[in-house]
Amino acid sequence: MAEGTSTSINIPQLIAVALVGFLAIRWFLNKPSTTTTSSSSSSTSRGRSIDVSKVEQVSAMFPQLDRRTIAWDLHRNGGNVAATTERVLAGRGLESPPPSFQPNLPLPAGSSSTTGAGAAGGNGGGAVKRHNAFGQPDLITRYNLQSRISGKGKEAVPSEEQQRNAWSADKSARAEGLRKRREEMILAARRKMEARDGEET
Amino acid sequence: MNSVASKRLFQEYKQLTLNPPDGITAGPVNEDDLFVWEALIQGPEDTPYAGGIFPAELKFPKDYPLMPPTMKFLCDIWHPNVYPNGVVCISILHPPGEDPNHYEQASERWSPIQSVEKILISVMSMIAEPNDESPANVDAARMWRERKGEFDKRVKMDVRRSLGL
Repeated sequence: MAEGTSTSINIPQLIAVALVGFLAIRWFLNKPSTTTTSSSSSSTSRGRSIDVSKVEQVSAMFPQLDRRTIAWDLHRNGGNVAATTERVLAGRGLESPPPSFQPNLPLPAGSSSTTGAGAAGGNGGGAVKRHNAFGQPDLITRYNLQSRISGKGKEAVPSEEQQRNAWSADKSARAEGLRKRREEMILAARRKMEARDGEET
Repeated sequence: MNSVASKRLFQEYKQLTLNPPDGITAGPVNEDDLFVWEALIQGPEDTPYAGGIFPAELKFPKDYPLMPPTMKFLCDIWHPNVYPNGVVCISILHPPGEDPNHYEQASERWSPIQSVEKILISVMSMIAEPNDESPANVDAARMWRERKGEFDKRVKMDVRRSLGL
């Protein structure tokens, strides 16, 4: 009889343990995915990523250092600016980050591409790489429009018919139309900017 | 599920082609995958962004239009509400329902009655009028608030550079 009661208590207990365990695992597995869905809101995303202002702080003291390297050290020591500074000053140098570590660092404020590459003479390669990693190519390069802007200078402005918005039944014709409208939008913006420059000089 | 999203996206693409809003061009990068779009947004006049063209990528979830797409600029855009990596932070792109932080009205957030066109128009007006209450780019927000002249100059330089001038 004593055995009978102990088993009848054990089974609900086992079920309860299994249920709690299952819920705990599910909660644990769900947690990262729910944070990523709401990551477009500022707070969560900032919490996960590197504090850019801290990187900036260290970078201001040691402009010769690669910002990604600084970010990596800060990432490892939990964002301790003093520890990173200490480490650099002690001459121990910073560890180079693994290639998989790609923080989203903005370009250094106020430094255009030219000054960025020029100022870091000793670390030129790094500076150029840095710019390529975080800067974006211009629109002309991005959409392969070099041939449309060089030489001709003043390109014929497309007539109204060509600009008409049409919906073709053919898939490739639609894609072509979209591409043309995109290119025309960029080239028109460039023409306008050039014209504005012409007026000023 | 998939076909609902695809049909709706195709319909929106058609509408945007036939009646594009001023200064906006948008469509799928490749029609075989309607869930990735590329949009061009013209910088609003009378702002430092005027004259610029800003490309952005829109990625739609499989349960669109129940959930909103994400939007990421593919160019350098110095703006208080755009993360340094280009991701746009705007209420219309936030999942439907109440804001856990109580900053936004539920009506400002995404709902299936919104559309790609409304997103792009909202982003265009966001470009013109930054909201510095919840900045995505803290440095840009600070510069916009405290050193407007420097901010404008930087944006204008980025615009010129993006046009290859």
